[in-house]
Amino acid sequence: MSNSEKKSQGFRELDPLLHSALRLAVVSLLAGVRSAEFSFIKEKTGATAGNLSVQLGKLEKAGYVEVSKSFKNNYPCTTVSLTDKGLSAFGQYAENLKTYLTV
Amino acid sequence: MEQEKNISREEGYEIIQRMLRTARHEVDNNSFYFLLWGWLVLAASVGHFILGKAGFDYPYITWALMPVGGIITAVYAMKHEKHKKVRSYVDQLMSYVLIAFLVSLVIVLAFMSVLQLYTYPIVMVIYGIWLFVSGGALRFRPLVIGGVINWGCAVAAFFVAFEMQLLLLSFAVLTGYIIPGYMLNGQWARKKNAIG
Repeated sequence: MSNSEKKSQGFRELDPLLHSALRLAVVSLLAGVRSAEFSFIKEKTGATAGNLSVQLGKLEKAGYVEVSKSFKNNYPCTTVSLTDKGLSAFGQYAENLKTYLTV
Repeated sequence: MEQEKNISREEGYEIIQRMLRTARHEVDNNSFYFLLWGWLVLAASVGHFILGKAGFDYPYITWALMPVGGIITAVYAMKHEKHKKVRSYVDQLMSYVLIAFLVSLVIVLAFMSVLQLYTYPIVMVIYGIWLFVSGGALRFRPLVIGGVINWGCAVAAFFVAFEMQLLLLSFAVLTGYIIPGYMLNGQWARKKNAIG
């Protein structure tokens, strides 16, 4: 089915930034909490540290997440939270996804 | 998860479901505070009652346990915060409610000499608020019921003598803090085991 055919049948475009396994997992996880540490996200998504850093960088660049760095027990600690823009994009993605699953 | 892995719509839906479920399970074990304050207040109120009956000159000495509870709460909360890797909205609400509860309690206890016989009924009203709101936030009915029982005991306490107020307070913390506290701890342990 072509893109124009999908649109005419009520399908909506999915945000390409979120339509990737790891980025979607990160944003979904953050949508349910106020903030989470890098190690927590890594553990729950099963991603490697390098890959997670790259994907978080993309989400941060798009303004979907906020990344803050601090120290905890003398060790660097990275905390991530979803921004209003990220939450709204996630909500829109979930809404658009529904059109594919219900039509 | 691999970098830039293409997913189908069904997989996208499954990822959202799984991750939201994971976030929901990240609820703290909040039973510590209810059990700590429950046992401390029970010991203080029953102790006050017994020492008063025994003719002891300073039966209210048992309330010296309260600052101890405050210090333990502060130390535990700070230590616990340090080890937390995730902060949920429920955790945030619980922290604010706990602070509101402790500040209100300190204000009421500071004006004990003015409030006199109304002190303990007002204390139980504050207990009721903490339990009711916490129970609602945690979706844990025994705490909500405990809050209602505390309000009931508070109303009754306005009409009885001081000694009887101590017994009402003991009953209020037993049913509002200690019993729900153990039930909450059990529920948390079962959840933890189920997740693995």
